[in-house]
Amino acid sequence: MKKGYNIRFSFIILFLTAIIITGSNVPALAHKVMIFAWVEGDTVFTESKFSGGKKAINAPVVIFDKDGKKLLEGKTDNKGEFSFKIPKASDLRIVLNAAMGHKAEWTVPESEIREADNIMEKKKVAEPSGPTTVGLSKEEVKKIVEDSLDKKLRPIVRMITESKNNEPSLTEIIGGIGYIFGLMGVALYFINRRKKR
Amino acid sequence: MFTGETMHISEGVLSAPVLVTGAALAVTGISVGLKKMDYEKIPQVAVLSSAFFVASLIHVPMGPSSVHLILNGINGLLLGWLCFPSILVALALQAILFQFGGITVLGVNTVTMALPAVICYYLFGRLIKGKKRLLSLAAAFACGFFSVLLSGILVAGALLSTGESFISAAKLILLAHIPVMIIEGIITLFCVAFLKKVKPELLGGVYEKGL
Repeated sequence: MKKGYNIRFSFIILFLTAIIITGSNVPALAHKVMIFAWVEGDTVFTESKFSGGKKAINAPVVIFDKDGKKLLEGKTDNKGEFSFKIPKASDLRIVLNAAMGHKAEWTVPESEIREADNIMEKKKVAEPSGPTTVGLSKEEVKKIVEDSLDKKLRPIVRMITESKNNEPSLTEIIGGIGYIFGLMGVALYFINRRKKR
Repeated sequence: MFTGETMHISEGVLSAPVLVTGAALAVTGISVGLKKMDYEKIPQVAVLSSAFFVASLIHVPMGPSSVHLILNGINGLLLGWLCFPSILVALALQAILFQFGGITVLGVNTVTMALPAVICYYLFGRLIKGKKRLLSLAAAFACGFFSVLLSGILVAGALLSTGESFISAAKLILLAHIPVMIIEGIITLFCVAFLKKVKPELLGGVYEKGL
């Protein structure tokens, strides 16, 4: 009798918890800090925020190369953004240090940087040969296309970068609770076996 | 800097000695907890572990920022030393599923949340269990309040090793968590009031065997 009551009580609490979860707007509730970075032309753009959507303002950002050497550092502005010219053709490890034990990083792979570098060099070559001819040279067309593509793709690149952020979904939360109760089952099983012996 | 504040320390912030100390303390606490764990306590541990797991996702808006509930006070109050395994499980799942905290900091995070809960259990448990209604409710509020406060102090202490000065870190964390302390105090108070009415044995049980 007493045990039945106990279990019923547990279920009431569980039920209330479930109501709280589903009733509150879950995706807006996390609090991890994140930094995203993407390359555009010769500049690396970064955006830092907490996973409730709050921007990480005025937070120090440090950029390391792949050997761990510090290349440069800066601070995010009041939109949580920070951008810098590509300092070196190497993997760039971008580390955000928010206060109170918050830390996040993002690595821009060397391939992405090199690609951006190549485009820049081509631009430099293309420019001097410009005004003398009436029609557009191949390089110029390429440059114009690349420039406008950069501009057009900016929101998409941003969206993709941001979609990599993993905020807790309802499935994960319920899954987590499921794990806890699964563990409870395992613990009860072992204690039960010990008792039977 | 005011942003989303939390008590979870991220991976790669603390130095190795702090991580090892945290892990050692956590193992001690967990083994004490596991020794006290028996058949009837397990479902209760699981329910409170779930509550802790979910609480961190519930944000309380506060000025330009937001903070989340912790619920370690209730964990300690109802579970005593058993809150170590309960909180460990919840933190491990938060680390794996949401990347809150992290596996290497699991020990430190467990200690910063569970140790204050155990301390508050010893400080306020007897009073809460007592017959005087007003006193017991006041103690319940204090239990919720101080377990968050002590957690903040422990987090600031752990951050010492990163070069962040203790006073400034503690000030930031505690200021940000004042609303949480109050809310947790109120939640604990209502829980105790509810349990006293509905199921007083739940409050008493731990103390008969525990101490």
